[in-house]
Amino acid sequence: MHKRNDFTEIEDFLSDESFRLWAKYQVDQQQWEEWTLEDPKRAKLVEEARLWILAMKVERPILDEKSIESALDKTWDKINEAERARPLFRKQKQKIWQYNWITSAAAAVLFGALIFSYFNTSLFSNDSTLVYHELIQENEEGLVEQTNNSNKPQIITLSDGSSVLLLPDSKLSYPKAFLGNERKVYLSGEGFFEISKNRKKPFYVYANEIVTKVVGTSFRIRAYENQPNIEVLVHTGQVNIKSNESVEDSNTKEYVLLPNQAVRFTRKDLTFNKISDAAADNTLSKTKNNIEDINFSFADTPVSKILELIENAYLVEIDFPKDKLKNCYLTTSLNDQPLPEKLKIICKSLGNNTTYEMNGNQIIITSEGCD
Amino acid sequence: MKIKIKKSTHNNDLALWSNLKLGDEKAFSQLFEKYYSDLVQYGNSFSPFTAKVQDCVQDVFTDIWIYRETLNNNVIVKAYLLASVRKRIARHQERDRIFRKSTTVDAIEFLFDFSIEHQLIADETTSFAVSNLNKLLNDLPARQKEALYLRYHEGLAVEEIAETLEVNYQSANNLLYRAILNLRKEWKGIIVLLLSLFTSIL
Repeated sequence: MHKRNDFTEIEDFLSDESFRLWAKYQVDQQQWEEWTLEDPKRAKLVEEARLWILAMKVERPILDEKSIESALDKTWDKINEAERARPLFRKQKQKIWQYNWITSAAAAVLFGALIFSYFNTSLFSNDSTLVYHELIQENEEGLVEQTNNSNKPQIITLSDGSSVLLLPDSKLSYPKAFLGNERKVYLSGEGFFEISKNRKKPFYVYANEIVTKVVGTSFRIRAYENQPNIEVLVHTGQVNIKSNESVEDSNTKEYVLLPNQAVRFTRKDLTFNKISDAAADNTLSKTKNNIEDINFSFADTPVSKILELIENAYLVEIDFPKDKLKNCYLTTSLNDQPLPEKLKIICKSLGNNTTYEMNGNQIIITSEGCD
Repeated sequence: MKIKIKKSTHNNDLALWSNLKLGDEKAFSQLFEKYYSDLVQYGNSFSPFTAKVQDCVQDVFTDIWIYRETLNNNVIVKAYLLASVRKRIARHQERDRIFRKSTTVDAIEFLFDFSIEHQLIADETTSFAVSNLNKLLNDLPARQKEALYLRYHEGLAVEEIAETLEVNYQSANNLLYRAILNLRKEWKGIIVLLLSLFTSIL
């Protein structure tokens, strides 16, 4: 099995991973000891190779996690600086425009939908109503738009590791990558957001007339173009909300919400209404999604159970080696983590040969079992 | 004891690389976290100024992100990063030299010294042999030493070393071979004596 019987040179040994492990750490997975003793000629070569390894030590780098983290922050600062110095790419936006409107037939259908929502909004609103498509036209980052035309929630993962569960008849526009010091996305309809933490780059959701700002938390926004109110409900963490500055004569007061608190914004007269117990609010609890009720804290829970729960919460399909993970149990809390983060934590806990791959709502976990 | 196993992470790296090219910040951060300290260590082999070296490594990553759309699809990520850091430091030193109005603009020199695994050496005979070998290793020409470092510490294959050092395959192979051949020749005397002792114990 092992090719070592053909080894004739020092470098054959030095290049062999398992030999190095044996020489340096006495980790003898391949029975080097036995193999060496089988043949005295062999022993000579092995001993020489071992001496080479002892004489070729390289000290481990002194950098700890914290200094790597701060180096990464510094690099992002450099990137932002360099990007500000470069001209904006206008043509990127054009490209997305083109592939969204591939055929004229599709364009016609979408156009019809826009008219419909215009008509609808005008029933409730005055001139200051801001709607989704006006907002995304202001953005110059080159946005990707995802629309959920199905009858089930859809999962969207963003480039920063955040995830959004987009409800039916809703759409979200977001940049392929978040440049600059802010993360901005645009929502029409309803979505449940789980945002990855990044103090340096606050996350903004523009939903019609209001702006929701967070650093890293989970919350739900209901902002349908054809409904009179916009609602934001906080699940974990802290959320700041104010009206969009481009709405004229709106009051600029900022609302700070904590878990189980919500605001209802009345679009007609541009007023906010704070709800301090969201659970008691009729509309909010009626519209609650599956995921908001699930507790992601686990104590000695079979991995298959955890994955099943994730499947139900995010409406994804997870393919994993059932036999190999049969006896794996986890104790962990995945609350307040975006979907990619949840999967990452699970893979990490299972051991270093476990990885996941995500493609739309299909997730594949490959694993050799747990340690 | 913490055991760090260098798995063949090539495929994993490529996946991160292609995600990075599409603008995935997470992939970028992961590659950064994975290789940053290795790159700083390698960079420090050319220049003792850690702050400057770190600056160079960060600049390499900055360029990767900014020009991500123009990056090649099929690279060996680790070799690419090592080579970029090497080039960046070389350029840096070249500039310094120009300011100093020096006459020669040599390629940068690998100043790193291998050390000895003292805690794994129990007896004097071994200790003697290892110190000798260590001295011979550190006296090798810088290029040969660098090739050994890349081969056995960073785990690069010969063609990856060639890429990092910007030479062709044959030259990289020669560097490695010559290093080991020269050393073994010089060391023969010591080793013969030592091994006769060693095998008689066995």
